[in-house]
Amino acid sequence: MAPLGSGPGGGAEGSAIARGRCVARPAAAGRRALAVTVGKAARGTIRRLGRGSGSALPGRAALAVDARLLAALAAEISRGAVLVTGTNGKGTTCRMLAGMMRASGLRPLLNREGSNQPAGLASTLLAHATASGRLPADGQAIGVFEVDEGSLGEILEQVKPVAAVFTNIFRGQMDRYLELDYLVRRLERGLLGLPADATLVLNADDPRLAYLGAELTNPRVWYGLDDLGHRRSGVDHTSDFPRCPRCAGELRYGSVFYAHLGHWECGGCGLARPAPQVRAVQADVTGPGSSRLAVAAPGTEAVLEVPLPGLYNVYNALAAAAAATACQLPSGALTAVDQVTGGCLRMEQVSVDGRDVYLALAKNCSGFTEVLRAVLGDGQPGHLMLGLNDRARQQEPDISWIWDVDFESLRGLVPSAVLSGNRASDLAVRLKYARWSGRGGQTDVAVEPDPVRAFRLAMSRAPEGQPVWVVSTDLVLGELREWLRRRGHVGKIWAR
Amino acid sequence: MTMANRKLIVGYLYPDIMSGYGDRGNVATIVRRCGWRGITAEVWELRLGDPVVADEVDLLMLGHGGEFHQRLIAADLADVKAPGICEAVAQGAALLAVGAGYELLGRFYQPSKGVELPGAGLFDAWTIQHGDDLATASYSIGEARAGRAIGDLLVRWGDELLVGFENHSAKTYLGPTAQALGEVILGQGNNGDGGEGVRLGCAVGTYLRGPCLPRNPVLADFLIRGALLRRYRDCELKALPDELEHAAHDTAVNRLRESAGGISPARRRIPSKRYMRQRHRVYS
Repeated sequence: MAPLGSGPGGGAEGSAIARGRCVARPAAAGRRALAVTVGKAARGTIRRLGRGSGSALPGRAALAVDARLLAALAAEISRGAVLVTGTNGKGTTCRMLAGMMRASGLRPLLNREGSNQPAGLASTLLAHATASGRLPADGQAIGVFEVDEGSLGEILEQVKPVAAVFTNIFRGQMDRYLELDYLVRRLERGLLGLPADATLVLNADDPRLAYLGAELTNPRVWYGLDDLGHRRSGVDHTSDFPRCPRCAGELRYGSVFYAHLGHWECGGCGLARPAPQVRAVQADVTGPGSSRLAVAAPGTEAVLEVPLPGLYNVYNALAAAAAATACQLPSGALTAVDQVTGGCLRMEQVSVDGRDVYLALAKNCSGFTEVLRAVLGDGQPGHLMLGLNDRARQQEPDISWIWDVDFESLRGLVPSAVLSGNRASDLAVRLKYARWSGRGGQTDVAVEPDPVRAFRLAMSRAPEGQPVWVVSTDLVLGELREWLRRRGHVGKIWAR
Repeated sequence: MTMANRKLIVGYLYPDIMSGYGDRGNVATIVRRCGWRGITAEVWELRLGDPVVADEVDLLMLGHGGEFHQRLIAADLADVKAPGICEAVAQGAALLAVGAGYELLGRFYQPSKGVELPGAGLFDAWTIQHGDDLATASYSIGEARAGRAIGDLLVRWGDELLVGFENHSAKTYLGPTAQALGEVILGQGNNGDGGEGVRLGCAVGTYLRGPCLPRNPVLADFLIRGALLRRYRDCELKALPDELEHAAHDTAVNRLRESAGGISPARRRIPSKRYMRQRHRVYS
């Protein structure tokens, strides 16, 4: 995925590559040092220009000089690396896990959220490298890398992790990954590059993930939700894997939590949800933006305060706790999850003209549904701005997933919604057919494609003192956030 | 007889398996557009093993799935449901099949590897997968995309324009008795020969996704009319306020015009904004 706001700054990359190629074939160590120098120069240039996040560009420039740079630098991290991949929750899980590691005295290295392809990882590592092209010796250093689900194979060719964590697999970016089958196949092929002793950390509640890489003999840690209070009736519309991954038989669910996550069993071959070693025995929603979960892990029990909203963050906390277990962190480390803050655009709280504004990125069906459920879960009316854009120039025009977002069950909870982005008119049709608007609708819907004007409109329509929730795909949010940054309401994305 | 007493039965084929591309949006569009006119559209979910009883259904809908899902339903579709589907369409029932569902309603589907899948034989058409099976392919995303029709699809359907999105690597070929749904303005359609989809009576097969009905209400109403005509011998349909639907339709077309760029031949084939404004006035 292209990093947010990565448009400008390409000139810096181009010149850095050109400089690298002027030098005639240095020896391996020299080449590595040169690659780091080039990458650092690109990074410095982008920062001086103050343009966009540009976080993949330095890595891309450096990898153009030395294609094995990532492998060389990653091998120098003394405690190795943990890779976190999946459709949703990668970045948050990484930040939660990093907090647990810090509490254990480790010094985690993280890549920037969304900068999760080889170039993004290389950018992160070269920023820490010395001029000679090596990472400073640090016995407590450990990598925690968010990995794009389509790039796992490529990254495993260079980074040999101690654990690979999978959050979930949902339908998303099908115009990019073509078919879900293809994506899963890519993940499984990628996993062939996993070292035999690396631990697979898998979501037991996701039937496709629980069976991922079935032929691999790697040690596994499964995590899952055991609190049946969160079950929904029937199979969720957003279920992407209604069938058994082994025999294609019909999956039966004792409980569904959301999408295809739940307690499942195949009616054909008997494949069933593995008993998770790390499980949430109880998960209580303690407020609109937080929950408390009682976690049982091998040899320990802990109560985790998760200061982030929604059931999806309960799963992220479980994934982090399971990864911590796989890394054999001390059991006291798990509670450090209470220090985690919402990532950039992950229910990011901003104060604008004395009003609370929440920015939430949602770019696929289950993400959008779960964010809306989290926002409206307390039954209080919510004033929304919803954004939808496609990426015409990158030939990714698919927005069909909005028709699987569960707007229907949230009908009546939203007094006003302003729709934005270049596909705002499709959202307007969606809300009409979900009966939010039109005959008998209870939501006052307005369409304003320009993100900044739409935001101003949403602010003017919400009664004083009430928060405005912005739930949107990336381009609309990126543009809005950049405007908020220019007005001093938020910091730079790359500065975080 | 007033509309208020009218009821249509919508047979939703394999809702749990073949709903991979927002296909529920097509079903919702039919249900709402009937409801706003006082017609009850009752949705029957027809799963693996359930037969299609021709006399009972007025409109059949079949959505999209990957090759895994196609393999799962092919035999059931050909053996259990095909007789009822073909009989219903022969009686005048309407049908919408999209993507992989469209491919399986032809005579056969030939995957890149392995034996061909039987089709339901409704349409005089067949589909051949020229590339590798995605689920077993080892190549990169770039290579996989190269052999694939992926992007916007704009189709002329009589006096109408249909707009959607296509994402398929198989090609569908029509036999001598089949009639294409429309003519491709932009995109690939069936196989690159300029034809898109197939139409047999009120049955439509198409590669248009998006889902296609919300953004092309004229196609939705075509299906509803067909279903009404079959059940009640009368297809009078009250016009609906479709400003939002037209706006979404026009946004998609305008976006195509802009991305086609400059004075390229593709751009010249896309109707102007003015033409579209006038067209909506006529039809709404």
